[in-house]
Amino acid sequence: MSATLSTGRHWRLCAALGVLVLAAAALSLLLGRSSGGPTIGFGGPELGAVILREIRLPRTLLALLVGGTLGLCGAALQGLLRNPLAEPGLLGASSGAALGAVLVFYFGLAGGDSLLLPLGAVAGSLLSLALLYALAGKSSDLLTVVLAGIAINAFTAALTSLVLNFAPSPYAALEILFWMLGSLADRSLVHVWLALPLMIPGWLLVIAAARGLDALTLGEETAASLGFDPRRTQWLVVTGTALAVGGAVAVTGVVGFVGLVVPHLLRPWVGHHPSRLLLPSFLGGALLATLADSTIRLMPPGPELKLGVVTALLGAPFFLRLVISSRNAAAN
Amino acid sequence: MPPLQRSTRTASARVLTLAAALCAPALVSHSALAAPPTVASINVCADQLVLALADPQQILSVSWLSADPEESLFASAASRHALNYGTAEELLRFHPDVVIAGAYTNAFTRALLIRLGYHVVELMPEDTVAEIENNLRKVADAVGHPERGDQLVAAIRAESRELDAHRPAHAPATVVVRPGGFTVGKHSLADSLMTLAGIRNVAAEQGLDRWGSLSMETLLRSAPELLVLTGYRLAQPSLANMMLEHPALTRLRTEHPTTTIPAAYWACGLPQSLDSAALLQTAAAR
Repeated sequence: MSATLSTGRHWRLCAALGVLVLAAAALSLLLGRSSGGPTIGFGGPELGAVILREIRLPRTLLALLVGGTLGLCGAALQGLLRNPLAEPGLLGASSGAALGAVLVFYFGLAGGDSLLLPLGAVAGSLLSLALLYALAGKSSDLLTVVLAGIAINAFTAALTSLVLNFAPSPYAALEILFWMLGSLADRSLVHVWLALPLMIPGWLLVIAAARGLDALTLGEETAASLGFDPRRTQWLVVTGTALAVGGAVAVTGVVGFVGLVVPHLLRPWVGHHPSRLLLPSFLGGALLATLADSTIRLMPPGPELKLGVVTALLGAPFFLRLVISSRNAAAN
Repeated sequence: MPPLQRSTRTASARVLTLAAALCAPALVSHSALAAPPTVASINVCADQLVLALADPQQILSVSWLSADPEESLFASAASRHALNYGTAEELLRFHPDVVIAGAYTNAFTRALLIRLGYHVVELMPEDTVAEIENNLRKVADAVGHPERGDQLVAAIRAESRELDAHRPAHAPATVVVRPGGFTVGKHSLADSLMTLAGIRNVAAEQGLDRWGSLSMETLLRSAPELLVLTGYRLAQPSLANMMLEHPALTRLRTEHPTTTIPAAYWACGLPQSLDSAALLQTAAAR
């Protein structure tokens, strides 16, 4: 009975988030930015059609897809590691992806619109997550996993800086900002088609792990006794995250905090079933990224803020609240 | 013989002008053919070449940095135009015939504009005087005034000859100190200009490529005969600028001839960049 009730609640939450996502997407399509600051609408019919189709539509689609990916993968990683601090950014999946993309891009293996770029990102992301598992996979201890993630993150970020310093392009060292902070400015539909073929299989793998994640909340041994092989669940979540986050990072750089904040905000609404958190987190991530990217365009005239700056500004306070509440829980 | 050739060329040019005048009524509806193209630029170096070469009424927009006197030698000219922040949506609204951009900046914007069918001219950063000339000609062609490119190239060559004639008798061992202790090596615009001025770049002689950092100790040991400082936003607090206040450097400045080159002369390769070589010669002569 209660399961039915909470299933109903889960779908109502999804429907509500879906409506909000549509509204945010409409806002994002309407909002522009010219030299004088934010603009609303499109300008003349001919110009407007081009602006809508070629500039704002790809930007909005990428905000939805990248935000959704980060929300979904954040929720899945939190379930897998049974750790509310897990997130593609904190665990090094995103910075590993950035390292892979930077290696492929700056050493001339691929232009900005070649499929090799996201594949490099996927490889980097996969390596980071594999390393995380090697360091902390057996332990579900909160501290070990987070420390391993921090170490990998710092290591891959340092390698990215190193690679950019040695890159032949004289501007590579300046472009580090893009890879570290993320941006959706002036992407085209080409970038959507570049990321999507990796994101979709990534999402499907993560979603296929949903019931395994629920079983894991009872502990690995219980999950195994229920017929869910914990290693299969791990494989699904890690590979799926690497594919989807790799695709995202290759076209937008590292956008932090979305995967951390969104599942955490939504968890009280769905109860502690990781499977029920996946779809709402996808929608919530899409919502947050789209709103954050729209906020950028609402800023006063000047060079554009990076998306990662805005998501971090929005996300960091939640992160601190999470730290404080877990400290209080530990004290009690 | 050459004057004759020139007059022949002028004569044929007159014929062409006449033909153009006769065809003019037919061309009015295709004014793009007759009028010089409208242009927007999205990179501070590209902006300055555009401001030097295009008619003001051709220029729809230049990027925001070029209106800043710290960044640009054309700040007052730039501030008379609409400023952009290098995003595709701004440029679509200006709808220029030609977009001039840097080959290493605004990568996503350039790709998007090319996809939308814009004529995007990409300029490589200039490390030599020859590369300044190339970019001048490239922009002059793109804005429909190739003759202005030729004139500026001729002026650059005249100034180069002038600099060559005034090389100092003794080439002073020179060290460039930029904020943060950066210095310039081979394959950089500043090094090309130092060579043209006839002064020795110690860092380049030591094998530094492009640019790199220079510790205070290396600087003191290199015993420079001439010290060249380039300040950049000295009023803004930065760790980089604090280095220029280092007591050892302050002492070195009192003991050796020192000259300051404003950052904008070396940030972009422009005809005016050669003026900095003249400043170096004056300093070397002191």
